[in-house]
Amino acid sequence: MKGSSKIAPYVFIGPTLLLLSIFSLLPIAVALYISLTDMDLAGLADYANISFVGFKNYMDVLGDPVFLVALRNTLVYVVVGVPLIIMFSLGVALLINYGRSKLFKTFRIIYYLPSVTNIVAVAVVWSYLYNPGIGLFNYVLTTLGFDRVPWLTDPTIAKFSLILMALWRGIGLNMIIFIAALQGIDRSYYEAAAIDGASAWQRLTRITLPLMRFAIFFVSITTMIGWLQFFEEPLVMTEGGPLNGTVSAALFIYENGFQYSNFGYAAAGSFILFFIIIAVTLLQLRLQRKQNEE
Amino acid sequence: MAAATKARGPQTKEDRLFQWAAGTVLSVFGIFMLVPFAWMMLSAFKTEAEIKRLPPTIWPETFTWDNFGRLFTEMDFGTYLTNTLLITLFAFVGLLLNAMAGFGFAKYRFKGREKMFLLVLATMMIPGQVTMIPVYLILNSVGLTNTMLGIVLPGFSSAFGIFLFRQFMSTLPDEVMEATRLDGASEYRMFAQIILPMSKPILAVQAILTFIGGWNSFLWPLIIANDQKLYTLSVGLQLLKGQHGTNFALQMAGAAFMVVPIMIVFMFFQKQIIENYNISGIK
Amino acid sequence: MNKKLAITTLAAVMLLAGCSSGNGGGQAGENGGSGNTGGSGDSKVTLNVWAMGDSSKPMEEMGAAYTKENPNVTVKVQAIPWGSAHDKLLTAVASKKGPDVLQMGTTWMPEFAAAGALHDLTEDLSGYPELAADNFFEGTVTSTQFDGKTYAVPWLAETRVLFYRTDLLQSVGYDKAPATWDELLDASRKLTERGKDMYGIGLDPKEPTLNFMFARQNGSELIKDGQAQFDQPAFSETVTYLNEYFTNGYAPVDLGLDTSQTFGGDGMVPMFISGPWMIKTIADQIPEIEGKWATAVLPAKENNMSSLGGSNLTVFNFSQQKEEAVKFIAFLSRPENQLAWMNQTGELPATMKAWEDPQLADDPNVSVIGEQLKNAEPMPLVGAWDNISQNFLKTFEQIYRAGADIDSQLKDFNAQAQKLLDR
Repeated sequence: MKGSSKIAPYVFIGPTLLLLSIFSLLPIAVALYISLTDMDLAGLADYANISFVGFKNYMDVLGDPVFLVALRNTLVYVVVGVPLIIMFSLGVALLINYGRSKLFKTFRIIYYLPSVTNIVAVAVVWSYLYNPGIGLFNYVLTTLGFDRVPWLTDPTIAKFSLILMALWRGIGLNMIIFIAALQGIDRSYYEAAAIDGASAWQRLTRITLPLMRFAIFFVSITTMIGWLQFFEEPLVMTEGGPLNGTVSAALFIYENGFQYSNFGYAAAGSFILFFIIIAVTLLQLRLQRKQNEE
Repeated sequence: MAAATKARGPQTKEDRLFQWAAGTVLSVFGIFMLVPFAWMMLSAFKTEAEIKRLPPTIWPETFTWDNFGRLFTEMDFGTYLTNTLLITLFAFVGLLLNAMAGFGFAKYRFKGREKMFLLVLATMMIPGQVTMIPVYLILNSVGLTNTMLGIVLPGFSSAFGIFLFRQFMSTLPDEVMEATRLDGASEYRMFAQIILPMSKPILAVQAILTFIGGWNSFLWPLIIANDQKLYTLSVGLQLLKGQHGTNFALQMAGAAFMVVPIMIVFMFFQKQIIENYNISGIK
Repeated sequence: MNKKLAITTLAAVMLLAGCSSGNGGGQAGENGGSGNTGGSGDSKVTLNVWAMGDSSKPMEEMGAAYTKENPNVTVKVQAIPWGSAHDKLLTAVASKKGPDVLQMGTTWMPEFAAAGALHDLTEDLSGYPELAADNFFEGTVTSTQFDGKTYAVPWLAETRVLFYRTDLLQSVGYDKAPATWDELLDASRKLTERGKDMYGIGLDPKEPTLNFMFARQNGSELIKDGQAQFDQPAFSETVTYLNEYFTNGYAPVDLGLDTSQTFGGDGMVPMFISGPWMIKTIADQIPEIEGKWATAVLPAKENNMSSLGGSNLTVFNFSQQKEEAVKFIAFLSRPENQLAWMNQTGELPATMKAWEDPQLADDPNVSVIGEQLKNAEPMPLVGAWDNISQNFLKTFEQIYRAGADIDSQLKDFNAQAQKLLDR
C-alpha cells in the first residue's frame, strides 16, 4: 500500500505529461530553433534551404514600430478586459447562485450561449450590430436622438468595441466555473454564519470569496493568458485596423509571419509574446502567493 | 444529504428584495447577452435577399427552412457527423487523463512537482499556430497523418483542464483520503471511487468544455485529413463558402445548427454542476 | 485495476488506429497503385485531386466522367475550404504528402513554385497540343510561368469590369458607360450631386488590386527589373486620382453596406468595379433592377488593363503519378468540360475556345468579361507580392483616412517594398 502511494503520483500525471511533452514541449523546442533561422516556404519544402540567422528575427520584430503599437493595444485589452471579465462573470455567478426560482436556471443558459457560438457567426452578427449605417446599435442610438458612434471605424473606440464583444463571448465560460466553485461551498458555513448573525455582505466577503480563492486564482490566470493572446476578435472584425488601432501582438505575428510563410519571423514573434506571458504569469503567481499569506 | 442542505428558512423581506434585484439585473443584462444570438437564430430562417435588405427586418418575412435543408444536402452530413461525434467521444478519454493529472498535482508531494506544473502551464502560453507545423511533422514521422488517432491524440492533454482540476481538487479534504487509505484502498481505487464522485461539479464543467471543443473541432481535422471521409461538421460548413461573396443565411443556419447540441449537452450537465454536493460529508 | 486499465487503453488505441477510414492500413493506399512509369494505364490508378471551396461535387462529377473514358483511373476528390487552404498546403509541402492534381489560385503561384512544390510541366505539355499557351487568354498564361518554366495550366479566369446602372447614368448624361478616367470622375461627381447620401461609384479601399490595377492603366509597370516603381509619377498620380474619389465624397468610406443593398433601389452607389460572380449575385438578390444595369470594360487612361485572377491546375511535385495527373488536367481543360464546369459553378473558363460558345458569347454582361479578359494581367508574380499589397493597404489607409501626404507615404512604401523584393 505504501509502495503504491509512492509511484501513484507519477502514474497519475504520467500519461498527460508524456502527451504534453510530445505535442507541446517538443514542438515548442522545434519552434525555438526555427526562430533562429530564416525558414520560409522554400525551407519547409527542402530543409537545405534554411540558414541560421541568429537573433535577426527577434531584432526585426522588436524593431518594427507597428509591433510596439500592437503591444500597446494588447496592454489596453488586458488592463481593461481582464478585470471586467472577472468582475462580470463573478458577479453573474453570484447573482445566479443566489436566486432560488427556476428562472435562474434559464439565466445560466442565456449567459453561457455566447461562449459556445462559432466565432465566424459571432463576427457576422457583431459586424451587423456595429455597422455604421444600418447597424442595430446606431439604429437604437439615432432613434433615441444620439449621434452615430463609429464603433469600428475610429481607432480608439474600435478597441473598446472589440473588448465588449470579447466580454460577451467570455463571460459564460468563467461564469460556470465560478458557479461550480460556489456549489462546492459547504452550506454549513452559511448556516453557522446565519446563527452568528452575519449580514449578507459579511457572508460574501468572509465566507464566499475566500472559499472561492482557488477558482478566482484559476480564472484570473487563464483569462490573463488568454487575453494577452487576443487574436480572433481583431482578426475577423477589423483585421487590425483602422490605422493599426486594434492590432494585437498575436495578430501582428500572424499577419507578418504566418500569412506570408515567414516561419522564422513568426516563431521569433511568438516567443517574444511567450516570454511576456510567462513574465506576467509569474508576477501574478507571486502576487497571489503574497495575498494568500496575508 | 440533499435535503439538509437547502437551508430554507422563512424568507426574510430583505431576502426577497435581493432576489428581485438579482433577477432584474440579470434579466437586463441577459437581454443584452441574448440579442446578438437571437438575431443569428432568426437570420437562419431568412432568405439571403432578406438578410441584406435595407432597412433590416427582425422577424423573418418569408420563413424558410431552405438554409437548413442545404446544410444537409450539400454536405456529406452523415460522415461529418460521425467523425465529429467520434472525435468528441475520444476527447472524453483526454478528460479522464487530465483529471488524473490534476489530482496528481493537487494532492501529492513529489520531487519536481512545482517545476513540472509550471511546464504544464507554459504550454498554454504559446500561440497555437507556431506549434502546428512541428506537431504535424511529428505525426507524419510516425505515420499518423490521415488517421483518426492523429486527429485526437494531440488534443488529449489540455493544460487548461489539468490546471482546472488541480485547483478544484486541492480543496478536497485530506481527511477523506486518509480515511480511505486506512481502509486499505489503493490510490487508484481511491481516485475512482472517492475523488471522482467528489469532483462531479468540476467534471461537469470540464465535460461541457470538452464536448464543445470536440464538437467544434475544425483546423486540426482539416490539416491531418487527406481524405474527406475524416472531415468534421465544422469543416463541412466552411466548405460551403465560395471564394467570393458570403452567403450569410447559410452561415447563420450552420452556426445555429452547431449550437443546438451544445445547448442540449449543457442543459444536461448543468444539473451535475448545481447538485449541491456536501463534500465534507463522510459517509 | 491497473491491468484492466492498461488493456482497455490498448484496445482503444488500436481501435483508433484502425478507424482511419478510407485508408486501410497506412500510407500505401494514399497515392494509389504501383509506381506508374509507363503510364499506359493498365494498372489501377487512384488520382488525388484537391479542389477549393464548394467545388467538391462538380469535381467529383468530372472525375466520374473521366473514369468513363479511362476505366482504370479513379478520381478521389478532397475539397479544401478557401480560408484554410494555405495552411493545408503548407503541411502538404512540409510532409511531401499531398494530392496529385492541385487547384491553385493565381496569387499563390509564385510562392509555391519558388518553394519547389509544383512540378515543372514544360516537358509534359509538349505531348498535349491542346494545352499550348495560345489556347488561353494571355493574362492567364502569365501566372503559370515562373523562372522561364511552366508550372501550371490555366483553368478558371476572372477579371474586374465596371458594373453600372444604365438608367441612372443616362439621367446624368451618359448613354454609354464612362470610357476614360476623366469621364469616370465626371460621371461620379454628377451622380454624387443627386443628393445627400448619394455616391457615384463604389471603390473598395481594402481591395488589394485596386490602386495597382489603375496604376497600370496609367502606364506604371509596378515593378521593373526587380525595382519597385511606386514612387514614380505614374503611380503617385494614380493614388492622387483615386484618393480624390474619397476626399470629394464620390466614393463612400465605411458605408458597411453590401453591394446588393446599394446598387438596387435608388442606387445609392450606382457604379462599382468587381468580378463576374456579381452578375449572378445581382440577378439573385436584386432581381428588380433587371434591364437597368449592365457591365462594361474598364475606363482607360493610357490603356484599360484590368486585374486577372482565377485559378490554375498544377501537379504536386511530390506526386507519384505525374503522367496521369497531366492527363486529367488535359481532360478538365477541354472546352466542353470547362463549359460544363461553368454551368455547375458559375466559374468562367480560361480557354478561349470555350468563350465562342453561345452561352458565353450571347450574354451581353458575360461577353464583356470575355472582352476584358483579352486585356487583363495578374498582379506581379513575385513571392513577396502579397506582403507588398497588404502593406500598401495600410499606406493607402493613412492617405484616405488620415490625410497623410501622398508623396512621402509613397516614398516610405516604395522603400519598404524594395526591401521585400531584395530579400
